[in-house]
Amino acid sequence: MNKAMRSPLMYALFLIPTFVGIVLFFIYPVANAAFYSFTDWNGIAKTYNFTGLANYTKSMSQNAFWVSVKNNGFFILFSVFIQVPLIILFSLLIANVKKLKGLYKTAVFMPSVMSTAVIGILWGFIYEPDIGLFNHVLGLFGIDKVYWLSDRNWAMISILITNAWQWTGFYIVMVLAAIISIPKELDEAAMIDGATGFQRAMRITMPLIMPIVSVVIMLSIAGAMKAADIIIVMTKGGPAGSTEVMATYMLKHSITSFKYGYGNSIAVLIFIFTLIITALYQVLVVRRTERIEY
Amino acid sequence: MRKSLMMMLSLIFMAGALVAGCGKSNNAAEPVNTGTNGGNAPQGSKAEPFELKMRHIEIGEPNKNRLARLEAVKNKTEEQVPGLTIKLDGVDSEVNRKDKLRSEMAAGNPPDIFDAFGSPDIGVYAKEGLVLDIGPILDELNLRDRFINLDPWTYDGKIYGLPKGGSIEGYFYNKEYFAAKGLEVPKTLAELEALAEKVKADGKVPFAQGSKDAWVPLMTTNNLWSYYAGADFTAGFKTGESKWNDPKMVEAVSKHQEWVKKGYFKKGELGIDYNSQRNQLLTEEAVMMYDGSWASSVFNDAVDADGKSKFGFFVMPPLNEGDGFSSMVDSNNGYGFSAKVADDPQKLEAVKAFIKNFFSDEVQLQSLKEDGLLPSMILSEGDLQANAANDLIKEIILRMNELEYKWPAFDALVQAEVNTELSSGIHRVIEGVQDPQAMLDAVQKVQDEANAAGQ
Repeated sequence: MNKAMRSPLMYALFLIPTFVGIVLFFIYPVANAAFYSFTDWNGIAKTYNFTGLANYTKSMSQNAFWVSVKNNGFFILFSVFIQVPLIILFSLLIANVKKLKGLYKTAVFMPSVMSTAVIGILWGFIYEPDIGLFNHVLGLFGIDKVYWLSDRNWAMISILITNAWQWTGFYIVMVLAAIISIPKELDEAAMIDGATGFQRAMRITMPLIMPIVSVVIMLSIAGAMKAADIIIVMTKGGPAGSTEVMATYMLKHSITSFKYGYGNSIAVLIFIFTLIITALYQVLVVRRTERIEY
Repeated sequence: MRKSLMMMLSLIFMAGALVAGCGKSNNAAEPVNTGTNGGNAPQGSKAEPFELKMRHIEIGEPNKNRLARLEAVKNKTEEQVPGLTIKLDGVDSEVNRKDKLRSEMAAGNPPDIFDAFGSPDIGVYAKEGLVLDIGPILDELNLRDRFINLDPWTYDGKIYGLPKGGSIEGYFYNKEYFAAKGLEVPKTLAELEALAEKVKADGKVPFAQGSKDAWVPLMTTNNLWSYYAGADFTAGFKTGESKWNDPKMVEAVSKHQEWVKKGYFKKGELGIDYNSQRNQLLTEEAVMMYDGSWASSVFNDAVDADGKSKFGFFVMPPLNEGDGFSSMVDSNNGYGFSAKVADDPQKLEAVKAFIKNFFSDEVQLQSLKEDGLLPSMILSEGDLQANAANDLIKEIILRMNELEYKWPAFDALVQAEVNTELSSGIHRVIEGVQDPQAMLDAVQKVQDEANAAGQ
């Protein structure tokens, strides 16, 4: 057995299924998308023409494309600077409760397992201008109706809130696991030294959970770059394209308009942008985060 | 020994995985001759079970009658074709047309029977050999000459689908409200606007509209530009004869924007979906609603004390009295069939039986009676009168007969990307962030590109 496991051929054999999987489900689709991004293929025809960089130059010249890029940027900024701090806050609060911790964990995790379509419809009722919860509350304070999903000033923020509500619980469970794995002795020693709860959270817990927070930020960025479903359900990119993100822009052109080649150039751009942002984050933040060992 | 055993086990595992992944299903039925009239299996043979996937859009309460009719046809077809199970797959119309069906076509794997739009969609699919030429089936069933208009379903002289029914567009309106306020059906566009002002002054929404999907407000815009620029103007975009930024078009779109600014539609219409707009009329929040005759079933049910529908129907009036009424009239929505059906005699027979059962006088008259769906097939005047079961449907037929100009909807005449740009543009115009001239210039630019590309 040991001899067999030392054979390079054996390792190669075990690696083949994984390698085949990666080629089939990752490398091939990406290469395929890159290939068609240089064509005028309509997605259905058997023939197509090579158009060089025409699809890329066209997208760069479209105002609607840059609006979609900007909206992906909003998704990232909202995730990193609003959602992540809330995730940490809620995780610290839940970690410190003595009773019903399981209930809280389940409650916050619940939206993550619900379908986006259901969440979109549910929040559609909350945002409804006439009978929705938000406007009802605003009405109690004498504030005028807000057209949450049909006013370009509010539509994007409404979607971001809904998206954050859906995914916050998922990340809370991750951060909670990191908090719980911190040895109790550290906290107890600080307590004996007279540190307050806030000081212990900021000086002990926070530094120790930074590696998992980095992962949460990374996942949030990746999630923000591929966001599409919640937008399709809630606004379909409207009003007037103001909530369009790159993925919905890509779908609209590749499938709805029979411009598969053009759509693929957007897909490649999403891939490149995501790669650049995550690489920058890795270099600037993750590598500087200290490795934690207990 | 152990080494060779490990090697052997690994190879067996790998081979097993490959065989499982690449194996061909053996469930495909052997060809069975089931006769020519949709249903008679050969004597003494037992047909293999097989499934036909059918995509439809008859979902939700407003389409309950349509779904019931479809299910009745499904059951009848299953009874006639041995071994057949039809699996119905209901999808929202817009999602089916713009997303799901197109991605299935792109993958070369559409459902066996699918809800489709004739022009331009079916032509694109037919060009690539993805849809079934049903000409021979129509000949066999003596149906070829039974349809009023198959032009939208014809590509290169062959027929690739059949329309479920016909339709016109116009205003559904609250008759009771009109009577109570002494209002009359307008004869000119100016009268329509005066009417809208009175309704607005009364604290109600003049025109119910849910513009989340752009095709909904574009129905109104399309009729406006057909009055301002002419009924045939839309056909000229693809040939380059008509320009989107023509002054008459600008005038028409400006009129739509003017109505928005004057508050003739509910505020926040861009966040309201198509189904919800009907509630504005049903709950009497709004008084009129521009929609297709296909929506009439919803308003048949809303009856007053005499058992008559309290809703009526009129088409958008012309600019000047006596200029002649103009409206979209088409039969562009129906069923197409996957080209792959031709490879399977069982499925082909099932499709034949479905066509025979669905495209029948019985179903057409039932559609007229229950939903006010105008027929796509030629029916006798007597049958039409007998089955126009309520006043609303009779009114719709009357209005259709009064039309001087009939034209297909714009999306049946222009390229998909032009439609995409126009859809985005009308949203910008409604929102007030772009003026009609700039919006139409942008649409013309896309039109020029599409025409230059020879699409």
